[in-house]
Amino acid sequence: MATAEELAEAFADWRERSNGNPRLKKMVRGWDRVIHFVLADGGEGFTMEVRDGQLSELVPGQVGTPDVVVTGSSEDFCDMFWGDLNPSEKYMSGEITLAGSQADVMRIDAISMVAFLDR
Amino acid sequence: MAAAVPIDRECEVVVLGGGFSGLSAARALARRGVDVVVLEARDRVGGRSWTESVGGLRLDRGGQWIGPTQTRLQSLADELGVATFPTHTAGEAVELRDGVRHTYAGLIPTFDAPAAADAVEAILDLDLAALEVPTHAPWEAADAGRLDGTTLAGWMDDHLGSPVARDLLSVAVRGVFGAEPEELSLLFTLFYLHAGGGLSNLVRTTGGAQERRFVGGSQQLANGMADEIGDRVVLGSPVEVVRFDSDRDCGVTVTARRPGDGSWSVRAERAVLAVPPVIASRLDWVPHRPALRDQLAMRMPMGTVTKVHALYDRPFWRHDGLNGQLVADAGPLSSTFDDSPVDGGRGVLVGFVAGRDCRRFERDGLAGVKAVLEQLGRAFGPRAAEPLELGVQRWSEEAYTGGGPVALAVPGALSTLGPALREPVGPVHWAGTETATEWCGYLEGALQSGERAAAEVLDALGARS
Repeated sequence: MATAEELAEAFADWRERSNGNPRLKKMVRGWDRVIHFVLADGGEGFTMEVRDGQLSELVPGQVGTPDVVVTGSSEDFCDMFWGDLNPSEKYMSGEITLAGSQADVMRIDAISMVAFLDR
Repeated sequence: MAAAVPIDRECEVVVLGGGFSGLSAARALARRGVDVVVLEARDRVGGRSWTESVGGLRLDRGGQWIGPTQTRLQSLADELGVATFPTHTAGEAVELRDGVRHTYAGLIPTFDAPAAADAVEAILDLDLAALEVPTHAPWEAADAGRLDGTTLAGWMDDHLGSPVARDLLSVAVRGVFGAEPEELSLLFTLFYLHAGGGLSNLVRTTGGAQERRFVGGSQQLANGMADEIGDRVVLGSPVEVVRFDSDRDCGVTVTARRPGDGSWSVRAERAVLAVPPVIASRLDWVPHRPALRDQLAMRMPMGTVTKVHALYDRPFWRHDGLNGQLVADAGPLSSTFDDSPVDGGRGVLVGFVAGRDCRRFERDGLAGVKAVLEQLGRAFGPRAAEPLELGVQRWSEEAYTGGGPVALAVPGALSTLGPALREPVGPVHWAGTETATEWCGYLEGALQSGERAAAEVLDALGARS
């Protein structure tokens, strides 16, 4: 199980790469959303916002009304944020699940895959 | 006025076609006490679902998977006690690109990561655009004329820079439609993707269209529906003539070959045509053809697909860390899946030869079959090139289907003639997965279309009494 500090460090790396990636900026343009990450292995989840084409910093806890809820283990989230894990593997195995409107789920699915592929 | 023909059987509703859509319509009507007769050309029911015993295994020569949100199909399976099990997905997939073999995990080949990212972005763009196309009336989409004047290939020219990304998308399209991006109207493509939850959903195993299989094969579901309808399902009776007079409310008479010899005529108040559009167009219509529907059918050719089964003593690829899935940029096979029985006691790979590759495969004859074996060997090792048996199901040779997996719409078809797809013509109603608004092209869509046609017919019969 990853600690909150480890998750925050991995996420900061993911955020920096994502916000600097022209393709991802294009893919989140006009897509302002609140995303909750729920830790399946226990522990406090966290909240991320996408606003004006940028990912926000991670906020501890479930803040606001989510558009998308991403559920997975803290280890998988860490690996995904570091870019060591292809998220589509975990979606396909059901170890990471996405809940939200069809369009929002499609978007976060694609965005997270591109973040992995387009490093 | 149509000449009178001797009537051998009278009923309230005659259904043409004993596939999933026709049986679903007939069963819904029979359950409401309607006297219904189903005429099926083949000596089996099921249509594009066809399960056969090969080497002691039940193999699906046609539609075989069930995915999330296919609720009618799931209910039918539950009702008939047909179990499902997950498609085997543990392990890595194989990609053959430019003759070189790579393995990968996840949804999309990752060897050329920037190209894969291009393809993922393009799939998202397509899927989001698809959500804007109303599935009940694609021709009412904003900009329907422009979308329908474009092919999917034209859209790819504008949205995909890298040739590898274009290839990745073309392989997916080939598998889903049995066609090349050049053949597909963009409006039709977007409609179809919306109806099936997006291209990202249609190419997926777990969580998508290929998620689970039926223990014992999908045709059991058709057999179960036919059993309920009983001897009112007549096999081996291909319809040749449909007679109706649209100016007078005097029903419809269909003349079919009789099982064995000769012909017989069935007279009904209403007919449900539960066959692919092109098959309806091959009938004789007396005194005249259902003009707009017929014109639309001319613009909706069947896709081109051949399904291949390779049987082995066991699923040896699993021990090599492979999941049996293949994605290939050059044919004959464009994709494979692990199709082994639920106990894994034998090994089966199912492969698709589709679109461009299928046309070439048909021309190549035995050399094409040999190329399939070589390709299996390159992908999964030398053992794969020597299956115990190789089954080849050419859907384009099927007289009562004409191709597969589905009819597609060429540019200009839906925006000019789309409403004719489902609009009844006199006493004639239209079913078939092509007329579905959910999961068009799939077994689920066939069930939905049958239920919708049955509801139309019940309305019409109710108005009469």
